[in-house]
Amino acid sequence: MATTTATLTLSSADITGHSFNMTQSAILTKAASSTGLDEFTGITSRKYTSAQSDTVIVDKDDYVDTTVAHKVYIRNTSTGNSDYILVELEGTNIFLGRLYPGDWMFIPYAGTKNILVTTLALNVGIEYGVFSQSTAS
Amino acid sequence: MPTTTASITLSSADLTSDALSLNSSTSLLNAGLTTGLKSTSGLSRKECTSLDTFTLYHADEYTSDRANKVYLKNTSTTPTEYFLVTIDDEPMGRLYAGDWAFFPWSATNGTKAAFSVTFANTWAEDDTAVFDGVTITLGSTETTAAMTDLVVAAKYPNFTVVETSASVATFTAKDSNDLSLIEEGAASDDYVVTTTGNGTGTVARTVAPVASANDIKITPSVATSITLESMLIYEV
Repeated sequence: MATTTATLTLSSADITGHSFNMTQSAILTKAASSTGLDEFTGITSRKYTSAQSDTVIVDKDDYVDTTVAHKVYIRNTSTGNSDYILVELEGTNIFLGRLYPGDWMFIPYAGTKNILVTTLALNVGIEYGVFSQSTAS
Repeated sequence: MPTTTASITLSSADLTSDALSLNSSTSLLNAGLTTGLKSTSGLSRKECTSLDTFTLYHADEYTSDRANKVYLKNTSTTPTEYFLVTIDDEPMGRLYAGDWAFFPWSATNGTKAAFSVTFANTWAEDDTAVFDGVTITLGSTETTAAMTDLVVAAKYPNFTVVETSASVATFTAKDSNDLSLIEEGAASDDYVVTTTGNGTGTVARTVAPVASANDIKITPSVATSITLESMLIYEV
């Protein structure tokens, strides 16, 4: 089985009165299992030359759903401006949030909704990838 | 300005034929990318002992469309135990034992219900108005203005209230997810006035509620002890 590790480091010397430095590592396993996730889309890198409106970057039809431990990674690769990427779940304005240049996100994914992005500016860069399990647990 | 850094490393030697090693790091800045995020909930843990869904973060309590960031972790070590993470009551995904998540949050606010009460005609000492579990009793100053002042001075569990004019009080719900529509009219079962004369308190809706679409809700998979770790870093 494949072993994939996701490590988060979150730190700040001054957001509170105490310095803060936290590291969390997770081995990406299938739902309710110690077996590693067995599928990976690779990291897709795009530069949108035009504004995007509800562009699908993760299609739910490509994945089994519900009893799953898929993970999605998305990053705004733009630099030096405030051109955000609005990340949404398919539906009526199910906004997750705005990824500003350099920001990244890593979320569990149920596989029940497409993941969409909307951008306002030209030449916004994005990279994304899905770690998934081939069959539901 | 505070400097907070979030870094991710994704690595695998055997998921594909080529080793994966991805590193990304970002400074958590506000929406204008000029200053660091200054506010945080702090790192917290919540032990759950029931299957009940709970709201971890209420969108109403934060400013919409900012560069807020949410961290979640399931601290369980039992592989079958998970937290279902939902937003707008739609499933984002399941956070299994040991898994963590880090994502931006729009905190899109809902619309809080509001209504006005207009006091008119003759009000007398000991006349009452009852709403939200609070009873207001008029004193010896037998005017609608005095009644309005008392109503506005009171504290209500689920509503705030302001004086719109000398005889009108306007109530606003504290939570946009309270979708109950207050009955309108000169006589209302929701806002009950009792007067010995011909005094009235007429209720009129001023704002219809719309539920907050963006609350982050959590549902544990087990009713035994399971603990969620979380932190919100946000912009006001």
